[in-house]
Amino acid sequence: MRLKLQRLHSAPPWKAFAARVLSVLLALAVTALMMAMAGIDPIDLAAQVLSATFGSSFGLEDLGLLFSPLLFTGLAVAVGLRIGAWNIGAEGQFNIGALCAAGIALFVPGPDWALLPAMIAAGALGGALWILVPTLARAYADVSELITTLLLNFVALLLVYYVATGPWLDPSGRALATTARLPVRLPEVWGIVHWGLPIALGLAVVLAVIFSVTRWGYEVRMAGSNAGSARYAGMPVRRHLIAVMLLSGALAGLGGVMEVAGTVGRLQGGISNNYGYLGIMVAVLARAAPLGVIASAFLMAVILNGGIVMQTQGLTTNTVLAMTGLILLFAAIGDELAHYRLRRLEGRN
Amino acid sequence: MTDIRQRLGLDAGAPPLVALHGIDKVFPGVIANKNVSLEVFPGEIHALLGENGAGKSTLMNVLTGIYQPEAGEIHVGGYARVFTAPQDAIAAGIGMVHQHFKLVKAFTVAENVHLGWADTPARIHRSVLEQRTADLSHKLGLAVDPGATVDDLSTGEQQRVEILRVLSRDAKVLILDEPTAVLTPAEAQELFVALRAFVARGNAVIFISHKLDEVLEIADRITILRQGRKVATEWAEACTERSLAQKMVGREIVLSDMRTRTEGVAGPGAPVLTLDGVTLKGRLTDVSLQLRAGEILGVAGVAGNGQRELCQVLTGLATPDKGRVLLDGDDIAPLGPRKVAALGVGHIPEDRLGSGLAPALSVTDNTVLREYRQPPVSRGPWYMPRAARALAEKIAAIAEVMVPDFAMPVRNLSGGNQQRLVARREMRIASRVLVAAYPSRGLDVGAINTMMRYFTELRDQGVAVVLVSEELEELLNLSDRIAVMFHGQIMGVVEGEQADIDEIGLMMGGQRGPQAEVAA
Repeated sequence: MRLKLQRLHSAPPWKAFAARVLSVLLALAVTALMMAMAGIDPIDLAAQVLSATFGSSFGLEDLGLLFSPLLFTGLAVAVGLRIGAWNIGAEGQFNIGALCAAGIALFVPGPDWALLPAMIAAGALGGALWILVPTLARAYADVSELITTLLLNFVALLLVYYVATGPWLDPSGRALATTARLPVRLPEVWGIVHWGLPIALGLAVVLAVIFSVTRWGYEVRMAGSNAGSARYAGMPVRRHLIAVMLLSGALAGLGGVMEVAGTVGRLQGGISNNYGYLGIMVAVLARAAPLGVIASAFLMAVILNGGIVMQTQGLTTNTVLAMTGLILLFAAIGDELAHYRLRRLEGRN
Repeated sequence: MTDIRQRLGLDAGAPPLVALHGIDKVFPGVIANKNVSLEVFPGEIHALLGENGAGKSTLMNVLTGIYQPEAGEIHVGGYARVFTAPQDAIAAGIGMVHQHFKLVKAFTVAENVHLGWADTPARIHRSVLEQRTADLSHKLGLAVDPGATVDDLSTGEQQRVEILRVLSRDAKVLILDEPTAVLTPAEAQELFVALRAFVARGNAVIFISHKLDEVLEIADRITILRQGRKVATEWAEACTERSLAQKMVGREIVLSDMRTRTEGVAGPGAPVLTLDGVTLKGRLTDVSLQLRAGEILGVAGVAGNGQRELCQVLTGLATPDKGRVLLDGDDIAPLGPRKVAALGVGHIPEDRLGSGLAPALSVTDNTVLREYRQPPVSRGPWYMPRAARALAEKIAAIAEVMVPDFAMPVRNLSGGNQQRLVARREMRIASRVLVAAYPSRGLDVGAINTMMRYFTELRDQGVAVVLVSEELEELLNLSDRIAVMFHGQIMGVVEGEQADIDEIGLMMGGQRGPQAEVAA
């Protein structure tokens, strides 16, 4: 008897899921090994991270603040993937969303109940506008959105730095590199966790419903899987591509709104905190499923929160980046391996 | 078969050029090859015959090192060899020309010949490469233009480049996978001459095909595979088309006239769809055709002569630059594919996996593609997964396709089953016209027969069927009329009953037929 590897045409869902879980565990194991080699007790550290995160309501509230933006950017990237578009620019759209919301809050007079919806609308619109050019380039000239969305991130990031340290700098002189505190804040729901989190969770559910039980969702699924067959059936492939990519930008922009109006309270450079890039990881881990994004964004939030604890132990934040990189690497390997199965062969000789 | 060496003028103990002994190859859930043995001697053209899925390509992929067999041995020149990669097989003198050419279209002939070849000079210069190619071309007796860009060549010429590329690596055994599928009859004859010259130099050819007539014409010996097993190896002159077909499918097939209507069914009726001087820039020139209810119109021609565009115009996928497309008297040219389909025009597209189906999506998603907009699958803006599933099950049942799991990607179904699903899906909406492009491509005899039965069924219901095919036999069996296309034009339309293969062949090569002037 001998063992043999067989490649299957498609990975069964339970195997794909198991591969995801295993990839996370493996990444944690490798990180632990590296820690141990650097002379840090990984078990002790893990215990600290877990207790700091889950052991107190402060920890859980911090977790919620990280969870929310990751949900928005994760959903943004996942929605794009639904139609085969890689929105690498969630980082930039997030920044622009924050910029637009802050602009409304700082310079438009009005009551809170009117300003908040206006900020949300402006942020979503800003995010959508930020991806408009890459979207049109992809839809009409077949220019890869990967590069164009990525490059616009740097423009957006620098624009926010410039605005926050230049024309919109806090006139009171108390803050060095941010705008003044926004007069309008997103109300909290629990401790310091603001409405951004429930809104994001609600959006994930709504998107899941849209993609599974609407005709539009079916058409987007078809267009994303094979534009040829969608065109053959007479679906407006280009229109769907544009709509989905703009929706993706708007979601990332919304993330920025919640961050500036809920968590930070001011517009400052680097407000996006890499959430846009981490959103790519979240979406890929979730296999672009909106409900899956909830799970993977939560996991990513735990890891990020762990990073903060690690910093108190004298480890750099880069540890977290390395860890997320490892997870993605193992997830990619796991995706491939999920196609294989071990089979016993009855040996003839 | 003991006289093979004697007949080929070889020594009594001469080893075969290549031999396969007891090859087993298993894929998940499928036995692709089971205990297959094959000997190919210098000087012979050995045909490998079998239905689609009989294991021909798998066996050759084993021989060329693409697959490793689970059991069995490969012998080259009498010595056992193990090929772990295609390069090993090439080094051992075994080369293969695949059905889909592996040429870089933007490169010249000389560049393609030298691509990925250890003998290519380190410092390349255009004139050097072209000179080397010209020498090779001369030495091997395969006329090519070294400086031409591959994209500009005809399919036949491209195939010659592929063969030159393989032979330039000192191949002693040339494997050709369905080489004539893309050729005109004249080009096929040219190919046969080149192959005979090649084996006359002490080499061998393995010729994969499922076309009985050409196998009988070209091969010295024929090995028939069925369901992964070898059925027999025979001398070609001891075989007839009938005996080969019987061995291939394990039962006797009858080439029959399917034009005859069952009693009570009317013949072709009133015109349904009319093309009037349709021109599509650079693709179709002044095409006029008339389709009548209850007839099958065959469209013959070498692939790439405007058939694809004709189908696109008929189904609303392309809007002609000039001319009109009339369905029951109304111009449908500007409507687009969705509205045209809604008016009762079904379309079995030529590239099943490129446009007929989304391979990665579920069987359900794919099966409801034509009816997802209407109840019960859609209610207002809502898509009802359960109703979609029910409809998919219904269509699969009519198509006689066993689907183990409707949520699995449709690409997991066999090609024949995919095609049946597409065909049944389209037949449901084809109340006026069905456009079927190469519906039997890549299918085995059984599946082809099913497909043809579908078309006669529709015809008898009074639907106009357009059958685009490169299989003349199929067209002759089925069509009431046959239109022949060349360079985007209709060369002529002949009555199916009186159709003469030679005449159609001439029109396929660009000669105008007697009825070429017949407009709608």
